[in-house]
Amino acid sequence: MTDPVVLSAVDVLVDLFQPGTLARIVLDALSKSALYVVIASGLSLIFGLMGVLNFAHGSLTMLGAYLGGAVMVALVSSGTSGPVRFLLFFLAIAAAFGLLTLLGGAVEVALIRPIYDREPLFQILLTFGVVLVLDELARIAVELYGLQPQSEWQAAMGTAPGFLSSWYGVAGVSTRGLYLFEVVVGALVVVAIWAFLTRTRYGLYIRAGSEDPEMTRALGIDVRKAFTVVFGVGAGLAGLAGVVLMWDPRFGASVPLGVETLLVAFVVVIIGGLGSFRGTVAAAGVVGLTDALMTWLFQNHVAFPGLPEMAMFLVLVAVLVVRPQGLFGVAEVGGH
Amino acid sequence: MTDVGEEPETESTGGYLRRLLGEQAVHIAVILAFALYPVVYAVLVRTPLGAEFDVFLPRVHTMVAVLYIGLFAMSFDFISGYTGYLSFGHSLFYGTGAYLVVLTATGKVPMLGSDTPFMALLLVAGILAVAVAVLVGLVSFRLTGVYFAMITLGFAEVAHVFIRNWDHVSSNPRDGATIAGGDGFALGVPGVDTLQVEIGRIVGTNLGAVFGLGLGIEVDETWVSFYAIGAVVVVCYFLMQRIVHSPFGRVMIAIRENEERARAVGYDVYRFKLAAFAISGFFAAVAGGLFAGYSRSVAPSNTFDLFHTAEALLAAIIGGFGTLAGPLYGYLFTASVEGVLSTEHHGIARYLRRGLSDAMLSSGAGGVTVADAIGVLVDGRADLYLGIVFILFVLYVPHGILGTLRDRLGGTVAKRLSDRLRSTFGGRHR
Repeated sequence: MTDPVVLSAVDVLVDLFQPGTLARIVLDALSKSALYVVIASGLSLIFGLMGVLNFAHGSLTMLGAYLGGAVMVALVSSGTSGPVRFLLFFLAIAAAFGLLTLLGGAVEVALIRPIYDREPLFQILLTFGVVLVLDELARIAVELYGLQPQSEWQAAMGTAPGFLSSWYGVAGVSTRGLYLFEVVVGALVVVAIWAFLTRTRYGLYIRAGSEDPEMTRALGIDVRKAFTVVFGVGAGLAGLAGVVLMWDPRFGASVPLGVETLLVAFVVVIIGGLGSFRGTVAAAGVVGLTDALMTWLFQNHVAFPGLPEMAMFLVLVAVLVVRPQGLFGVAEVGGH
Repeated sequence: MTDVGEEPETESTGGYLRRLLGEQAVHIAVILAFALYPVVYAVLVRTPLGAEFDVFLPRVHTMVAVLYIGLFAMSFDFISGYTGYLSFGHSLFYGTGAYLVVLTATGKVPMLGSDTPFMALLLVAGILAVAVAVLVGLVSFRLTGVYFAMITLGFAEVAHVFIRNWDHVSSNPRDGATIAGGDGFALGVPGVDTLQVEIGRIVGTNLGAVFGLGLGIEVDETWVSFYAIGAVVVVCYFLMQRIVHSPFGRVMIAIRENEERARAVGYDVYRFKLAAFAISGFFAAVAGGLFAGYSRSVAPSNTFDLFHTAEALLAAIIGGFGTLAGPLYGYLFTASVEGVLSTEHHGIARYLRRGLSDAMLSSGAGGVTVADAIGVLVDGRADLYLGIVFILFVLYVPHGILGTLRDRLGGTVAKRLSDRLRSTFGGRHR
């Protein structure tokens, strides 16, 4: 008697190495990785420099999605042409990034700065309190505008240009324009952050600060100010991620988006390793590929809808077991 | 680690009991206060100010939740507050206990019949959680700090996603499972039928005729559940309290204060952490089991969810991180706030809408009426205010209610108390 498990494993592999299948999975992985890197990069910057695991990151993303949606819904009418919608999209990104940078800076100055001398635990707890407040405020605002906080904001989703929802052939596989657009946005964000880290003063501070905080301080750099700026930029990036997700039917602006993206961001940042933006990019790739593979597996072979999400956390656990400091992290940083 | 015997060598049983009563005065007072609460509540809501009391006092049903979630919060604090390892996936153990009870009762667990006694189920739930905790802990305690919090969260989320999609649970696993019909679960002394009571809230038996109390107060299943679950929680509390004040508990605190030194002194800290985690998991599962037995239904959102761990975290911070009883009071506080701001009929929003005149409700400034303000700022907005309270506690009251109280009472009282506790739980009396 042949073992059914072995048989199906062979089936799966044969199926997987069909030419079209692999290309489709890789494309899916690319678009997912792009989203994940956008979702996680702000958290990575803050965690890298300050060692503060910002629990409010997801809520800031959620706020960004609603803010971006508000800009789009207010400015886009049914007659607005596609290219104009793209321009407005970047306007929405600028608005959300700016507003949330201010909010992040304010939160840092008012709430987190007073407790830097305490155990890191308390900074985590504090940002957790911010989650409760922001989520409830968002719920209030959304209900005031007659929206359902639990489900995605369809009007905001409807402001996407038409060619994002049509299908294109790439490498012999058809894919939605939206996914290609996300890959482009993800690449832009990675380049922008890389430029910020390597070409600006604060980028230098971040790199120095995550390498050796005490030495950085000793060299006379105003770390307090750097913390405020970085927390602000991190929050702004969270907001930017929200604007990008607002058009994606797999996400969309809703209050639960906060937790959903927070968990993804945690997984990516921890896998990538503390204080390493390169690690975050690589981890987003790993998580995106895992997600794409498992989604394919679920759609074709395994009748378990939670498979992709579960696999993501299993990867987190596995990486922490094998390499506790993450893929690109330095062993002694952030151990405590 | 044995105590030097300070007390006289010989002591009569009566003297011992008297001393025990004196030492446990605070505990006895608290237990009495909890025990009298349903009666006090029932009397107060019948006074002329009954409507006000109904709004501001937690109902007995809420108090039952205070007991089991309080126990969960205590178990969370047992590991997180005492060893300093933030167990961010603690809902894993609570959920394990809760789902075990419901799945067994619906006949979906192999080797355990649906007629397994509830007390035995609680024990099985606890042991299962110990096994899970050891497996998770073996891996997780190689990490510290934020990484420990994240890996435990990772494990809990794996379980959360799994249970949300496992069609063995019910036809719609996202909504969890419910025990349809049947008798309530019996809590009590094993083997003694007369000392068994059934818990649950849907079972509508009215015991008022039996325990009428002569005050026109109806004693229903909720009351019975309150006392039965309360008894279990008290036992669990004393077990944990005893562990915390034992030499083992001292090592836990040593790990929190300075793990390197604890290791240098010669303790195998890894094993101590693992054992503490397992004990904590045991009690979390018992709490989950009690919850499932009382509500007769479970859902991923109120068991395995990250926000359920957050509930314990909130309670622990407000009540006092690193004080065993603190989380119970912390949850009493959050549950009271949630009760007052509830959208249901006993919430303050309905009360205001009932009580205020129409003119008052429709008055207002800038197009915003009082009624609007109530709907937006009061009705079901507990999270907003709890979040603010939580932030204020983290900023200004980091030791929580009980921790600050202990600090305020000064070294002498606290020291005397701990001296007494040590002499009770130290070497001599087992």
